[in-house]
Amino acid sequence: MRGLKIASMNYSKLKPQIYSYLGYHGVSASEETDALILDCLKELEKVQTFRYRYQAFEEIPAFLAKEPYLEFLKGTSGVVLSVMTLGTEVDRLLKLYARTNAARGVVLDACASAYLESRSDEYEKTIGNLSYRFCPGYGGSEVGDIRYIFELLHPEKIGMTLLENNYMLPSKSMAGVLGIGGQNTKNCGSCILLAHCNYRKEGTRCYGSEKK
Amino acid sequence: MLRLGKEIIVFDGGMGSEIERLGLTGNPEELNVTHSEEIKAIHRAYACADIITTNTFGLNRLKYKGKYDLKTLALAAIENARAAGKKVFFDIGPTGGMLAPLGTLSFDEAYEAFAEIAKLTSHLVDGYIAETFSDLYEMKACVLALKENSDKPVFATMTFDSTARTLTGSTPEIVANTLEGLGVDALGVNCSLGPKELGEVVSRLLKSSGVPVIVQPNRGLPRLVGGKTVYDLTAEEYETAMREFVKTGVSVIGGCCGTTPEFIQRIAKFSGKKVKSRKVKRETIVNSATKLTVIDGVKICGERLNPTGKKALKEALIAGDFEYLVDEAVKQQEAGADLLDLNVGVPKIDEPAAMLQAVRTVQEYCDLPLQIDSSNREAIEKGVRYYNGIPLINSVNGENEVMDAVFPIAKKYGAVVLGLTMDGSGVPKTAKERLKIAKRIVARAEEYGIPRHKIMIDTLVLTASAEQALVKETIEALRLVKKLGVKTALGVSNVSFGLPNRPLLNKTFLTMAMTAGLNMPIMNPLDGEMTGAVKAFGVLSGEDENSANYIAAYESFSPAADGKESTVASLYDCVKKGVKTQAAALTRAELETKPPMEIVNEILIPALEEVGKSYDSGKLFLPQLVSAAEAAKTAFGVITEKLPKGGAEKGTVVLATVKGDVHDIGKNIVKVVLESYGYRVIDLGKDTPVQKVVEAYEKYQPLAVGLSCLMTTTVFSMEETIKALRAANCTSKIFVGGAVLSEEVANEIGADYYTKDALGFVKKLESLDKPPRA
Repeated sequence: MRGLKIASMNYSKLKPQIYSYLGYHGVSASEETDALILDCLKELEKVQTFRYRYQAFEEIPAFLAKEPYLEFLKGTSGVVLSVMTLGTEVDRLLKLYARTNAARGVVLDACASAYLESRSDEYEKTIGNLSYRFCPGYGGSEVGDIRYIFELLHPEKIGMTLLENNYMLPSKSMAGVLGIGGQNTKNCGSCILLAHCNYRKEGTRCYGSEKK
Repeated sequence: MLRLGKEIIVFDGGMGSEIERLGLTGNPEELNVTHSEEIKAIHRAYACADIITTNTFGLNRLKYKGKYDLKTLALAAIENARAAGKKVFFDIGPTGGMLAPLGTLSFDEAYEAFAEIAKLTSHLVDGYIAETFSDLYEMKACVLALKENSDKPVFATMTFDSTARTLTGSTPEIVANTLEGLGVDALGVNCSLGPKELGEVVSRLLKSSGVPVIVQPNRGLPRLVGGKTVYDLTAEEYETAMREFVKTGVSVIGGCCGTTPEFIQRIAKFSGKKVKSRKVKRETIVNSATKLTVIDGVKICGERLNPTGKKALKEALIAGDFEYLVDEAVKQQEAGADLLDLNVGVPKIDEPAAMLQAVRTVQEYCDLPLQIDSSNREAIEKGVRYYNGIPLINSVNGENEVMDAVFPIAKKYGAVVLGLTMDGSGVPKTAKERLKIAKRIVARAEEYGIPRHKIMIDTLVLTASAEQALVKETIEALRLVKKLGVKTALGVSNVSFGLPNRPLLNKTFLTMAMTAGLNMPIMNPLDGEMTGAVKAFGVLSGEDENSANYIAAYESFSPAADGKESTVASLYDCVKKGVKTQAAALTRAELETKPPMEIVNEILIPALEEVGKSYDSGKLFLPQLVSAAEAAKTAFGVITEKLPKGGAEKGTVVLATVKGDVHDIGKNIVKVVLESYGYRVIDLGKDTPVQKVVEAYEKYQPLAVGLSCLMTTTVFSMEETIKALRAANCTSKIFVGGAVLSEEVANEIGADYYTKDALGFVKKLESLDKPPRA
């Protein structure tokens, strides 16, 4: 299993993130779970249709002219707005398994989240020297700001929809803000869960797999 | 109407890019009123085209939320387009919402939005072009709305990506079969990609569409330069690519994003040229939005979604539990069915309503094409109308009144129809008489404009125990009917009724029938011997080239093999290891020696406790916890059958993900774990309106109400739900959970308990002393 490639990415790279989503408590993985994850990733590979859409702005769009975005964009020379999705078939499968095989559903859900992030990270490397992806809702920002990204990027062209409650469809979709240049790194400082975060209690971070 | 399909017709080019070039900003549809001269100028610049499309892409009540009324903008847009002095087609884009079940927009809401536009404009335009749709279901709503509210031509084009699928996964063949079935005048592709990249999509549309094909590509693939979209393709290159399409048989051409009047002038030279004739393979095809089944060779139609002789299904339908159908559908799909029969005919049920709900539920989970099976005309129409694709209708027979009721539906929605070779005087004895009825059905269908490839014939199986001599007549009738050029079907297992060892007779009869030309056995796909016979027949008849399917199915076959799954020795281990598949059998074995409740208390609960402890201490992961819960739930299901109704249940819990939140995976896990402990769970789903939770509380008087949410924004909605429950004097304990919650937040919003995970929920519930109402 080691070294097995899932599309362009390495399973071992996705694994820590997937385990983290599954509530990994720092013990070593079981063979069965490994096998199930691998099987889910293979299935995911078949049905996902990763699509990405972005636009670069030299001047930052008006909705970003407030905290915490300004702090996040400090030292950058512009901003990239991006939207990305794994497509509707993944949702259909998740729904199906929630009903017919809940264990697989749970694992597939975690795999899909990790997979989407990883594919997006890789895609973003091809755009240029960008910061990490800051998504509306992080660090005290308004989830509702997604609406501005939708107005500017027309994600419906890649099959995404924004519901009234700012929830994106398909469910495995993201909308992000990236600084061009700059040295920003993630931190927990302004997280809403700071006071009672289970990850922190265990001495890890939710983005722990990304830390060196 | 111009000579559509005979001579090339040219549409205009990009509107958005021209608006941008003129420096106009703001809502594009409002420009029809605020800058009508500029819009007219754009239309005039495209006057070299045969057809001008209105500047109305986003004009429908779901997408346009500006200050004008739809009528004002629509009429202004038509008037502007008329300035070019050419035929005017009203342009219709998608609503921007995503249709249920993937999204929240209903089929009827989408339909109404499009119907409104058709009613406003039909008398003023020369036709409609529905374009840039990426969801086949929304396109179906649009085409029906246009055709039911206007008599003008309807062109329909969808967008495809580089994998030659629409954004919701439909192939060119699926799009062509569905849209042609719905009776559009031309179908095709627009936007998406450049002309060079669309080659595969166009050639596949041309091979499968019986109506003229329309192609309106973008000006190549756009690049982003300094935040602006830039197109590199020249008008000359565009013309060259479009010439190739014309050569292969495309009937209507035009341009989409990035194309300018210069591009359309270039391709306008093809206008009026003779359309190249092409060969279209006419096959009997049914399809869902993502799966297409060509009825040739032998295709299995699963028979299990039919309450006849199935008590549990009958009860589920009466109780309105349509989810029950899902398990049966998925099982049949996994067992190799190619399409599924769907019948909800139970005495006293509102069959049309039940059919609608059944179609919606099944297609939400299972992507196999469906066979809508009913003798109720209204139920057939409901099923066919709301089906996302082209279904098979089961059935008509040789009686005129039946055909006259069903054929109009089949024609309107493009469905395939199964005709039974019987009439008012019953099933004729001889093969020749049955052929006569088949001929009558085919002829009558043709009168309704239904071509032969949309008709299948069932020569009817009688039971060998009662009518032994007639078995061979059914087989002979198959042979005769095949000569009409139609595909055939049989309800195979009827043959063995009343005789011992039915599977043996079924399998043998199936083989005889396949040899005589049976295309679609309606049978139980879970019967491995039967599906095996179909696979073997594929090899022996030469249909299965190089025996590929057969080998794939039996590669690892060995006579002694007992499946891949590890076996477990005891029910305790079965739950502990989460082997769901063996839970039922092991429970039944235990039930032979132990009373039901002893199994629950001494095996299931202790096993779950052990799993729970391992999970809590970090030795087990969520997947194993859920697997164990599922195994225990299966075991519990078997035990419950042995007990008086409700006897083993510990009580009811109502679960809901609150209004505004659709993250329900946590709630689903809680559900499985609660059920594994023997609780009855009423799952209200996600995005649950406050009132629905209150109503469920009042109806079920549960031990507990569990609410979940994931987003910070929906904690408020959770609070409101709790307030409403308190206002209704809720005596049930209110549990809350979800990523953004904590003990503190739970107290603040007035919940009784916060639990961090599913196990926490169960433990708390178990620890509560006497429940208020059991």
